[in-house]
Amino acid sequence: MSLIEVENLWKTYDMGHEQVNALRGVDMKIEKGEYVAIMGPSGSGKSTLMNLIGCLDTPSKGTYRLNNQAVADLNDDELARIRNKEIGFVFQTFNLLPRATALHNVELPLIYNGTSRELRRESAERAMQIVGLGDRMTHRPNELSGGQRQRVAVARALVNNPSILLADEPTGNLDTSTGMEIMGLLADLHRSGNTLIVVTHEYDIAKFADRIIFLRDGQIEKEEYKQAG
Amino acid sequence: MAKLKKKNTNKPDDKLVSIFESIRIAVSAIWANRLRSALTLFGVIIGVTSVITIISAIEALMGSFEDQINKLGPATFVITKFGIITSEEEFFKALKRKDLSLEDKRALEKGCPDCEEIAARAFRRSKVKRGNKGLRRVLTAGATHNLIEIVDFEVGEGRSFTAEEYDRNSRVVFIGPTIVEEVFEGQDPIGKTMKVQGRKFTVIGVAKERGSFLGNNQDNFIMIPLSTYSKIFGRPRRNLDILVKSSTVEGIDETQDQARSILRARRGVKYNDEDDFAILTADNILSFFNNITRAARIALIGISSISIVVGGIVIMNIMMVSVTERTREIGIRKSIGARRKNIMVQFLFEALILSLGGGIIGTALGIAIAAILGSQISLPVTPSLFAIVAGLSISTGVGVFFGMYPAMKASRLDPIDALSFE
Repeated sequence: MSLIEVENLWKTYDMGHEQVNALRGVDMKIEKGEYVAIMGPSGSGKSTLMNLIGCLDTPSKGTYRLNNQAVADLNDDELARIRNKEIGFVFQTFNLLPRATALHNVELPLIYNGTSRELRRESAERAMQIVGLGDRMTHRPNELSGGQRQRVAVARALVNNPSILLADEPTGNLDTSTGMEIMGLLADLHRSGNTLIVVTHEYDIAKFADRIIFLRDGQIEKEEYKQAG
Repeated sequence: MAKLKKKNTNKPDDKLVSIFESIRIAVSAIWANRLRSALTLFGVIIGVTSVITIISAIEALMGSFEDQINKLGPATFVITKFGIITSEEEFFKALKRKDLSLEDKRALEKGCPDCEEIAARAFRRSKVKRGNKGLRRVLTAGATHNLIEIVDFEVGEGRSFTAEEYDRNSRVVFIGPTIVEEVFEGQDPIGKTMKVQGRKFTVIGVAKERGSFLGNNQDNFIMIPLSTYSKIFGRPRRNLDILVKSSTVEGIDETQDQARSILRARRGVKYNDEDDFAILTADNILSFFNNITRAARIALIGISSISIVVGGIVIMNIMMVSVTERTREIGIRKSIGARRKNIMVQFLFEALILSLGGGIIGTALGIAIAAILGSQISLPVTPSLFAIVAGLSISTGVGVFFGMYPAMKASRLDPIDALSFE
C-alpha cells in the first residue's frame, strides 16, 4: 500500500458561465520515504493538485487515499484533523503569524491537537534546532531574514511528525543561494526519513527530487526518475 | 493500553489548551489595536452604564419603599375607609362609606381575641408656633397611646404619652426633630410649651431622626393624643385609621378575618355586599406598588437597553473588520489544522472580552452614577448583586450575540481563499 494513491482525480471549477477543468484525470502513487517534485508551468494544475494532496480542498471526481484513508469525502473538520496530523506545509510566502514569536509559530500545529504545554515547548524547540535556528526562538518573523523565516516554516511543518512534507514553491521568495540552503535542508530531512513533495515551476529546484512528475493542462505529461548515483 | 492512557490525558487538555490559547490570541489581537478596541469598549460601556444606572436606581427606590412599608411590621394590618384606590369610580364609591370611628375600635377590642393591640390615628395639617418662630402645614397626628407599640418609630428623648394622658385629653405633644430645630432653634424642648393651632401644648418627647424619603422630610411632624385631637379639631372629619397587631405573625390572616366579620356586623354590611372598609398589610401594599410600577420599570430598562444594542452593533462591526484583516491568519491556522470550532472560539472570545470588559466598567460606572443621583434625593444606593449579575450577563450576552456572526464567518472561510487573500 502506497502512502499516497490518487486515481482519476478531477477538479472542476464553476466559473459561472463556463466550467474549468483544473485537473483532468490524474493517477499517481507516492511511496513512503520518497522525494517527489511536481513540476509544471502556471495553469498546469499543480497548485490544484497540491491543495488536494494537502487536504485543503476535495476533488470533484476520483479517489485520493492517504495512508490508506479515503479523504475525498471528508468534511471540513476531518480535513483539518488530517492537515494537522499528516501534512506539514511549507509555503512560498512562509505564512507565519507576524505577531507571534518563531517558537510560538512552530508550536501552533501542536496547539490544535491538544498537546500539553510542556510537550509542545519541547517539540517546538527540537524542531527549531533541526532547522538550525536554536538561537532565534524568541524572534518575531519581521526580525528574521527570508531564509530564516522559511526555516521557521519548515520547523512548523516538521513539528507534528507528519506523513508528508508538502512544499509549494519553497524558494520562490528567496534569492538563489538562500533557496539552495533551504533545498539542502529539505534534502537532509528527506534523508532522515521524511516523505517530501515539492511543487515548483523551476527545473533547477525539481531536480533535487528522486522523481519528477510533469504536469500540463491538468494531466500528467511524463515522469522522470533520477539516475541512480 | 498505552493508547488508552494517552487518550485520557489528552482529552481534557484539548479543551483547556484551546481555551487558554483562544484567550491569549484574543487579548493580543485586542492589544494590537488598542485605540480601536478602546473605542469599541466605549460603546458597550455607555450601554451597560445606562442600564445599570436605571436598575440600581429602581432597586434602591423599591428597596427603600419596602423598608418604609415594612415599618408597619409583619403582624400588623391597617383598617381604613379608602384603602388602595385605583380609579375615580372606586374613589367615589369609597367616599360614600361610613367613617371608621372609635366605636369600631371598641367593637374590635371587645370581640377580637387575636387582636393583641388595637390603635387608632387620624391626620391633618396644622400650624405650630413658639414665640415668633413657627411652621405651617405640619403633619399632625392624633393617636391612641398604644400606637407606638404598633408602628415602628422610636423615641429619641423624653417619652410618648401615656394612657392616663390619653384618657384625660392632656395637652401634651410628641414632636419630630425638625420641629426642635425650626421652632425651638435646637434647644432642648422637653417640658417647654408650644402652640398648635393656637392652643398651648407641653412637649414631652422627641422622635429619633428618620431622615427623608424621596425628598420628603419625615421628621416634620407632631403627635398628640387622639382624644385631645378630637376635642380641638372636632370629630376627625377624615375619619380614623385603625391599626391592629395580630398576636402572631402566622395568624395574621385569621386575625384579619375576625376583625372583618366584627366590623361587617357592626357596620351592617349585607351578606353579599363587599366590605365597606379596606384592610391593608405591608405585603399587599408592596405587591400593589410592585404591580403599578412594573410597567414603568420594564419600560425604563427597555429604553436604556437600546444603547446596549448600539454597543453590540459597534462590536459586530469591529469584529467584521477584524475578521477581514486577519483572513490570511485564519488561512494559516486552518492550513495547519485549526478546525472551524477553534477559529470560531477565537473570534468569539475576542468579542466576549471586549463586551465583558465594557460590561465590568459599565456596571461599576452605573452603580456609581446611581449612587451620586441617589444622594441628591437622599436615596441610599448600594451595589446590588442583581445589578452586578445583570451587568455582567447582559454584556456577555451582547458579546456572544453580536460576535457570533463575525466568528461564524471567520470559521467558514475556505483555507485556500484565505491563504491567497492579500
